[in-house]
Amino acid sequence: MPVFQDSAALYNILGGFFDTRVRFTEEAHLIHQVGGPILFVFEEPAAQICWVPVESGREAPFELALDGQGPSPLLTFRQSGDTAHRFWHGGLDLQQALARQQVRAQGPLSRAMKLLPHLDAIYPLYADYLQAVGRGDLVLPAHGGGR
Amino acid sequence: MSQAASRSIQALVARDYGQPPTVEWVELEPPGAGEVRVRLQAAGVCHSDWHAVTGRLPMPMPMVLGHEGSGVVDAVGAGVRGVAPGDRVVVTWVPSCGACYWCLNGSSELCAEANRGAVDGTGADGRTPLSWRGAPLHRFSWAGTLAAEAVVPEAAVVRIGGDLPWREAALLGCAVQTGVGAALRSPIRAGDTVAVLGLGGVGLNVVQGARIAGAARIIGADPVAWKGELALQMGATDLVGSGQDPLSAVLDLTDGRGVDVAFEAVGSVALMAAAFNVARRGGTAVMVGVPDPTEELSVNAFAFPSQEKTLTGSWLGGSHPARDIPRLEALWRAGLLQLAPLLSHDYALADAPQALQDLLAGRVARAVVTFPDR
Ligand SMILES: [Zn+2]
Ligand SMILES: [Zn+2]
Repeated sequence: MPVFQDSAALYNILGGFFDTRVRFTEEAHLIHQVGGPILFVFEEPAAQICWVPVESGREAPFELALDGQGPSPLLTFRQSGDTAHRFWHGGLDLQQALARQQVRAQGPLSRAMKLLPHLDAIYPLYADYLQAVGRGDLVLPAHGGGR
Repeated sequence: MSQAASRSIQALVARDYGQPPTVEWVELEPPGAGEVRVRLQAAGVCHSDWHAVTGRLPMPMPMVLGHEGSGVVDAVGAGVRGVAPGDRVVVTWVPSCGACYWCLNGSSELCAEANRGAVDGTGADGRTPLSWRGAPLHRFSWAGTLAAEAVVPEAAVVRIGGDLPWREAALLGCAVQTGVGAALRSPIRAGDTVAVLGLGGVGLNVVQGARIAGAARIIGADPVAWKGELALQMGATDLVGSGQDPLSAVLDLTDGRGVDVAFEAVGSVALMAAAFNVARRGGTAVMVGVPDPTEELSVNAFAFPSQEKTLTGSWLGGSHPARDIPRLEALWRAGLLQLAPLLSHDYALADAPQALQDLLAGRVARAVVTFPDR
């Protein structure tokens, strides 16, 4: 059984996390250094969420475009909903995940280096968020990154 | 130890992806515990340095480029026992920890801690000894040898003898360990036929590694004619040049059988597939070149069981520098390992950006930055 039973559940939970938490972190501003939209393509369930940078001065540095509605992305990350769920817990080493094809990337990966080292500050927010929306049942036990 | 001050040194700095590297004055802290400071005498310029600049090898910016070199230890931090000031050393780029799963299982080139530091750009203490314009400055995989001086972990240096010239020694840091090591740790047996696709600094060393391992026939493939000429000098017996499809040319040269062991030394997905395809039934293809981390390779799946083919890879030639650099040095002393032919052009540090350009344009096998006034 996938963690997110259907696309609606993924948009609701993961989309909700991006929308209400990630967008308002200090680290989110690094998307301007990444230099373009970041598209997450999910399988099982099928879904697409794009982080679309918006000009500075707005409340949050990027907005979400769901279901293929966004502009053409600079970077694309394809993964299953379960892999994404694990990733946002901080439980996945991206270098290993790429090598094992759990995550497939397209575009200039080096651009993501502006953001990736700073995600350590965001990962703890995911479990918090799941608890806050009454989905503490989805919180994964802590585990090593498995370098 | 007294807390000595930082020093200002010149270094080749890549400030961001896609920006041309420039020589800058940067600040270098004195060596901390377990670290040594090396005054560089020579440093090789590698294609991987360029891959860091373009972002194909994703590493944190800004960074000091360079990951192979030679020089004199001029200061050591607390707890350093293996080297002392005045020692001549090679600087290399996988300082293994000796304690992780990979180190304990005989693959120190895959050391988890060395890999972490390469990706994060920080040392064991989570920081970098370099700074530039008041902000942390990273270095290429613990090294940063395209600089007047480098502070590196003790495990990144290996002592060398007084008879090995600086420029030759520098090449042992990356190109020679990677190329020769890949051949020596491949299944090549005396009398084998081998193909090497791509004859850059690493490919030429795969050629001489194959010769040292006893290969009878070594087919080198590269569209650049002078690289083929150099490969003949290093031990190649046959060449596949420009305008020739490497797969059909190698098959023609081997009565359609293919080679016992094939190497790819560029990092091109098409050549990687070609290396797999030129290997004979029961043969092995070794991937040595580094592709973009997002790239995927397509090969015939049926060939694995039905032809018993092996597809494998090699990182730093599977080398353990403390073990292998002295062995490479011994091979050089015995006249079996050639280093001088790889050296064609020297550059001052101020001209390091030009050295990178010449390497990219295929004008040099290995560009070496030297410090002639030392
Ligand atoms: Zn290299
Ligand atoms: Zn280790």
